Amino acid sequence: MSTDTPTPAWRLVAEREISTQLRSKGFLISGAMLLVGLVAMVVILTLVSDRERTQSVAVVDARAESLVSQGSDLADQIDGRTRLEATSYDDAAAAEDAVESGDVDAALLPTSAGDPSAGYTLVGDAEVDDVTAQALTAAVSTAVTRANATELGVDLQALGAGARVETRLLDPDAEDNGLRQVASFVFVLLFYITALGFGMTIAGNVTQEKENRVVEILAAAVPIRALLWGKIVGTSVLAIGQTVLFAFVGVIALLATGNTHALGVLGPAIGWYVAFFVLGFVALASLWSVAGSLAGRMQDLQGTTAPLQIILFAPYIIAVTAGEGIKTVVSMLPIVSTMMMPSRLAEGDVPLWQLVVAISVTVVAAVLLVRVSARIYERTLLRTGRRISFGEALRSGTTEEAAPVGS
Amino acid sequence: MLEAHALTRAFGSLTAVDGVTFEVRPGRITGFVGANGAGKTTTMQMLMGVLSPTSGEVRWRGAPASAADRRTFGYMPEERGLYPRMKIAEQLAFFARLHGFSSKQAWGRADELLEFFGLGERREELLDNLSLGNQQRVQIAASLVHRPSALVLDEPFSGLDPLAVDAMVELLHREAADVPVLFSSHQLDLVERLCDDLIVLSSGRVVASGTVAELRGRAGEQYRVELDGDNAAWLRDVRGVRVTDVDGSIALLTLDGLSAAELARTVTGHGPVLEIARVRPPLSEVFREVTR
Repeated sequence: MSTDTPTPAWRLVAEREISTQLRSKGFLISGAMLLVGLVAMVVILTLVSDRERTQSVAVVDARAESLVSQGSDLADQIDGRTRLEATSYDDAAAAEDAVESGDVDAALLPTSAGDPSAGYTLVGDAEVDDVTAQALTAAVSTAVTRANATELGVDLQALGAGARVETRLLDPDAEDNGLRQVASFVFVLLFYITALGFGMTIAGNVTQEKENRVVEILAAAVPIRALLWGKIVGTSVLAIGQTVLFAFVGVIALLATGNTHALGVLGPAIGWYVAFFVLGFVALASLWSVAGSLAGRMQDLQGTTAPLQIILFAPYIIAVTAGEGIKTVVSMLPIVSTMMMPSRLAEGDVPLWQLVVAISVTVVAAVLLVRVSARIYERTLLRTGRRISFGEALRSGTTEEAAPVGS
Repeated sequence: MLEAHALTRAFGSLTAVDGVTFEVRPGRITGFVGANGAGKTTTMQMLMGVLSPTSGEVRWRGAPASAADRRTFGYMPEERGLYPRMKIAEQLAFFARLHGFSSKQAWGRADELLEFFGLGERREELLDNLSLGNQQRVQIAASLVHRPSALVLDEPFSGLDPLAVDAMVELLHREAADVPVLFSSHQLDLVERLCDDLIVLSSGRVVASGTVAELRGRAGEQYRVELDGDNAAWLRDVRGVRVTDVDGSIALLTLDGLSAAELARTVTGHGPVLEIARVRPPLSEVFREVTR
């Protein structure tokens, strides 16, 4: 900039905050590591969900073997990735041993050795895989019905007329449950890491300025509120920039791995995530600054930032453990909504009114928090040398402050 | 003109600064002296607006000082501090811009001051990597970088070697020749050498203020007479002088009706004389006197 108009103080503070961070090796390395982790997550997700699986089925006769091979086609039709493979054994006992020892996943055995009309029994160890069971049941019933029809001279098509049942899903999203749960987890984790990382950075920078005593020169030059705003804006820009970058890379990674379907499912959730992130982060940034101004030295930071760490950690636990009802309520609370709402959006539809409530509450909370923080910040920033308790900071007026160091 | 008007600051039950009134005139260097705990730093913090007064006000050019006014002041706090992990030129430019300079002005000014201190080639270095003396120079530069309209310096010379003090004094004369400068110091010899005006603070109150010459005058002008061998005790009987001390052939006296010329005639008329000299009381004596 080469104009002669002075830049507003908050912008200078924000610019310094950003340029200092962007030149910090620690910041760049941790950002890069998160990005790599995100891409790895998408890749792993793709590999896991697309991997073909083969279920081996023990048989003791040629008929069962051909039934398994017909069942394999049916299984493929059911979920697109399961194949069945027959393995021959001498007798039923040997086949059952194989199931028990885990050599095969299931066994398709005649129910009664001498009586074909008794049908087949599907034997599993603790359970039989759903797809395998469906496919084999259908294969057996089709083959046997066809054989019986021929034997009895029945027109199979006439017999089956009108018996066809089609399936139409009202909630096709449920199919993506795995994907949604992973995405929801990623949202919560990403906000937790970003908010905690940047939050500790803000608090640390504020405390450092107190510890370096540079704060008195800053306070003499510009209003303390401008310092606070500069910190909030600077760090928020960085955090939001990083989040947008992550969202962008996440989308690219989904596209590159051919997960266009996942993108369709998660796209809106990613959009909401960025919106909630902005609001939640700004509200939190002011609190982190206060935590920094309450500390006298870097060693005090663990203590003064503890409440904030809990605020961030609680929704993380709730997201993982709580039931639907609690999640719904919690997802509308300020700040916490930043983690919970996108995570709920990723898991399924959320009524619009809940989104509106969550956004409004967070906006109100952000405004209030920034105001209260500014007052506390003004009272505590110049009291260097020792830790100040939160209650003390709220109580103290402008005239009853503790004596500063020196004369 | 920078004025403190009935400035008072209480910390709980302790009144650290109690109704302090003084003025710092432009183009003059005003020394601010007082014992530890006299309230110098607290007063300076109120002048700069980093501490709000319990009562009283700070005036700048006749009106209550606003935040915008103070943005043009230069300040060097007692507790030194800059960003240790920031390059020095960048750091100075940052402070200049905080005080309202444009980016271009700020960088030009940062380099100019670093050149003055012989740190021009090290402009890209982190503050941390400089010696303590050089860090102090950068600190001083930070208070001058925006061509302040007034300077408030809290113990600016502490920790500087005599050469650095000289360089600093030269810089002050060059950079702040026409603005009000207030600086506090424990080094009374330095204050005596540098200051035009003096404010003495004791237990939160101004106990003396005025030009250095005026304050010295308060202690009374003394004369030292040294005779050539003769005992000086006879001077006690001379009318118009008050002898404060006699030590063999040396007497210390103040004039009490007699003029300096008459004293000289009286003494030389009496016998051989080695020296008749006016004694300027050191500031430390004035200080002890007024803070007693």
